[in-house]
Amino acid sequence: MNDQLTKLQNLGVLMRDHGLQMILALTVLIVGLFLTKWVVKKLKILLGKVTKNAATISIVSNSVGVIMLAVVIIAAAMEMGAKIGPLIALLMIICLVLIGIIVIFRPLIPTLPFKVGNTVKAAGLLGKIEATTLLNTRMRTFDGKTFFVPNRQILDDIVINYQYTKTRRIKVDVSIRYDQDLAKAKRVLEALMTRDARILAKPAPQVYVLKLTPSSVDIGGRCWVNNAKYWVTKCDLLEKTKFAFDNEGIQFAYPQLDVHHYERQESGCHVLHNGDEPQDDEV
Amino acid sequence: MKLAQGLKVIEKGWIVKPKGFRVRYQKRVDSEMVIEYSPRLEDAALDSDVTTWRYAWKLFQATQGEPGEIVEDELVNITVVDELNNPIIYYVTGEEEIFNLKDG
Repeated sequence: MNDQLTKLQNLGVLMRDHGLQMILALTVLIVGLFLTKWVVKKLKILLGKVTKNAATISIVSNSVGVIMLAVVIIAAAMEMGAKIGPLIALLMIICLVLIGIIVIFRPLIPTLPFKVGNTVKAAGLLGKIEATTLLNTRMRTFDGKTFFVPNRQILDDIVINYQYTKTRRIKVDVSIRYDQDLAKAKRVLEALMTRDARILAKPAPQVYVLKLTPSSVDIGGRCWVNNAKYWVTKCDLLEKTKFAFDNEGIQFAYPQLDVHHYERQESGCHVLHNGDEPQDDEV
Repeated sequence: MKLAQGLKVIEKGWIVKPKGFRVRYQKRVDSEMVIEYSPRLEDAALDSDVTTWRYAWKLFQATQGEPGEIVEDELVNITVVDELNNPIIYYVTGEEEIFNLKDG
């Protein structure tokens, strides 16, 4: 009982001596935190108008936020009557040590193999990276769903970053019938790719005969395009290939199956081959 | 001729790759027929002929009037051209195409 009474008396003395300072320090801290949050929010909006780079916006605004937070804490400490000289020195030492550790051990620190804004396939998902934190990565798939994928899972998985290189190759594979003009089909497909404004001149578009299947000759067009234009260009090329082949009278192949009709007769079996004119007695 | 020279000859003479596409059309302004482009000549052209033809067709559908006289806001003789104002072959038919063909 006496202990509790002593504690209360000590608290009363503390409040009498430093109460005003504590209230002021707390006020500075609360107002400072709200101000920091407001400034960071406004800064993000402002930077969003200047640049589209989400990473830049995030780095600049977070840096400003951290600096403001440090200033608020120091100001609150000053209100409490703390000597800020040793505090600043301590903060400087901590910062320098952290920077040193990051510089020395950077090659050993696992980093995510993409940046915000990249289109990637990771953890079985295909989408655009919206944000990364220490724990997870926010990914938006192309059907509008947002996934929060643990970084651990991404680091353990195979990741395809579709924007790691600037260009991508487009494949336009088509099958034509055996009785079609193969050389003409190759010419039409190559001209189609070459004429497209988005297809890069180097490496030049090429057309190859890929396979001779039982029911078709498979040809493949290969051309390169800038990453950002890959999907639309590919779709356009496929559409134009269909129309160009139609206009040039080149017929696509369909799965084909030869059916041999056996008709049992008294004298034995007779085979009716494709192309044979059926005799009156066979019909 | 070296191989590199041969490739340059092909590049210049075989197929000239257009750099961009625009929809060209005519419209009546103060009883005068004027030629306009979309996107405008001072703006960046579109890079897909498929998209540009689709855009041209939608403009035609959105603005077509009755057969005969050209009414206000009607876009006529709508086609797609490259950056040098050369008409672009309509990829669907393989021929030149003009939507809403009327005497301008």
